Amino acid sequence: MRVLVLNCGSSSVKYQLVETSRERIARADDLVLARGAVERIGSGSAVHTFQRGAEPKSTETKEILEHRGAVAEILRRLADPELGVVRDPSEIAAVGHRVVHGGERFSASVVIDSDVERGIEDCVELAPLHNPHNLRGLRAARAVLGGVPHVAVFDTAFHQTVPPYAYMYGLPYALYKRHAIRRYGFHGTSHRYVAWRSEALLGRPREQTKLITCHLGAGASVCAIDHGRSIDTSMGFTPLEGLLMGTRSGDLDPSLVFHILHAEDLDEYQLTAMLNKHSGLYGLSGVSGDMREILAEEAKGHERAKLAVDTFCYRLRKYIGSYMAALGGLDALIFTGGIGENSAVIRQRTLAGLEGLGIELDAAANEAAGRGEARISTPGSRHAVLVIPTNEELLIARDTVRLVEPAASHAG
Amino acid sequence: MEFRKIGIVGGGSMGRSIAEKLASSGIEVAVLELSAEQAAASRAALEAALDAELAKWGLTVSEKKVLLSRVKFGTDRAALADADLAIESVNENLAAKTAVVRMLGELLPAERVIITNTSTLSITEIAAASGRPAHVIGMHFMYPVPKSPIVEVVRGRETSDATLAVARGLAEALGKSPIEVFEYPGYVVTRAMIPFLNEAMHIVMEGVATAEDIDRALALGYDFKMGPLEYSDRVGLDKVLGWMEHLFRELGELKYRPAPLLRQLVRAGHLGRKSGRGFFLWKHGERAGSAMRVAR
Repeated sequence: MRVLVLNCGSSSVKYQLVETSRERIARADDLVLARGAVERIGSGSAVHTFQRGAEPKSTETKEILEHRGAVAEILRRLADPELGVVRDPSEIAAVGHRVVHGGERFSASVVIDSDVERGIEDCVELAPLHNPHNLRGLRAARAVLGGVPHVAVFDTAFHQTVPPYAYMYGLPYALYKRHAIRRYGFHGTSHRYVAWRSEALLGRPREQTKLITCHLGAGASVCAIDHGRSIDTSMGFTPLEGLLMGTRSGDLDPSLVFHILHAEDLDEYQLTAMLNKHSGLYGLSGVSGDMREILAEEAKGHERAKLAVDTFCYRLRKYIGSYMAALGGLDALIFTGGIGENSAVIRQRTLAGLEGLGIELDAAANEAAGRGEARISTPGSRHAVLVIPTNEELLIARDTVRLVEPAASHAG
Repeated sequence: MEFRKIGIVGGGSMGRSIAEKLASSGIEVAVLELSAEQAAASRAALEAALDAELAKWGLTVSEKKVLLSRVKFGTDRAALADADLAIESVNENLAAKTAVVRMLGELLPAERVIITNTSTLSITEIAAASGRPAHVIGMHFMYPVPKSPIVEVVRGRETSDATLAVARGLAEALGKSPIEVFEYPGYVVTRAMIPFLNEAMHIVMEGVATAEDIDRALALGYDFKMGPLEYSDRVGLDKVLGWMEHLFRELGELKYRPAPLLRQLVRAGHLGRKSGRGFFLWKHGERAGSAMRVAR
């Protein structure tokens, strides 16, 4: 069946049309028919990028004022007689939506009805930067594609197996009862996807392994997965906690927030923007939030670029060490996300010195890895190190099929 | 109603501040100025305001670029003709505002709403000049517009319910909570504020305490962001004097009669932050010391 996967931001809708089914999932031959993005929604010059199969990308600029218009534009393009991939939008059998926050209510993907929609709305308080946009896109898509089932796949759901002693903050318990203040974790779809793919590389079902998965992109998080279940992850109540990220600070002494507020005479908005958009790799290096640019500057002798990279790798290494302790062992360490998949030097610098803990990188295999799944540890390494490109859209499409297509199965 | 493009007449500090908020909410803005020099100066001032916010980390470089690209300053009124609505934001002067609203009434299609941004003047009187008063409404934005959470929405005598709905819709699109006010001199905010400012000026004048101490007492004592004298200096003492005179004229009550010290400062050209001296000395837009001698 054809599943449209939608990821709605404040002014963008990213999408994929995936041909999949229970049989295709079992054979792992799901097919991406087309992918694209509508960006700058709300302006007279919204940009629609579209790619059919592996053909070159095309770009169109037009006026699109709201998400509903963007979804209509996507359907128009998918069903374009010459350039599209379906004869009619009615060939789309279901829609899968990425939703950032599912709170404590959603521990798995779910078919959307008005009750679920209300539940997602209830989580707006927990993710005011993301859920309102997800919700707007979801409502727009349900309005335009009313006749087919819609499924919500949550970034937080995979981490709902984390035990209370790992998700609670050391704060008055009343805050948890009153405002649901606890750690939730994000990137769940990505961590779950690479954990599933590790089965093929390790030759063992994930129900028998201990994994640490590192999703390193502009946002970054680490997850400890014990026998297929997330038991801890580095992001917390919001995606600001944990690793050093492109423009986010990651872990911080909470007293600093008030200290900075007064020392720099900022308002709350400015401070929030500082922590989310001016910190991390960008804030430390002063160069960029993009690891490739920072590495290029570091190679030219830029000292703060080196500091940023060292800080990034060091903090990641600390998390890996602590999660080995949390898991009480390790079968494989997995890198994914833009940086994790593409930067051999970041993988190498992060793991340098961990030989004593049984992690030995194969330098040649690490250098050679790219554009595919690979094992990059030495044959003698006690713990395997893998690179697995993530594919959240595919997992969203598959979750959608499993919920929508009858019959029981449990792959992926 | 979706707001795609909004016209503003007058790119002074208030007009620019409104433009900044509209642009950061994703709305295209056309600002009409009297001369090309003024347009260039206003654009430069908006850029400076954004740079100041950038220095406080409230904005990123790319957000600043996008925001600036949404605001066009010019002298051709035709640039406003296709706006969803227009906002008059020229000096707080009845004749000037009336002239602008009359021009907008002729320029914009018949059903488009015209907003006048005034803190004290009569909407009914300004609206009458437009030739279609049902579509005219007042919105009293507070400075700085991007930070202030409220806006007074002021109906004139003839303002229609549909026009009110548009103004409320705009307030909500900008994330501001609208305070609905029926026309009466000074509305709510200015009317309550003026006697407070005036009284603080009388206290300085009578030599009861220094300007610094009066401000410190009120700001810390009542948890205001700043004291009344610094606030007046920041607004501009000529502007504050204008409000007082207007309210005194309209309502005839002594509590609005401007403190003689205020009148004296304005006559001496000490207008507050913009002239470098008022109740305080100012340097580069920041307070730089005491300007008042204690009377005794």
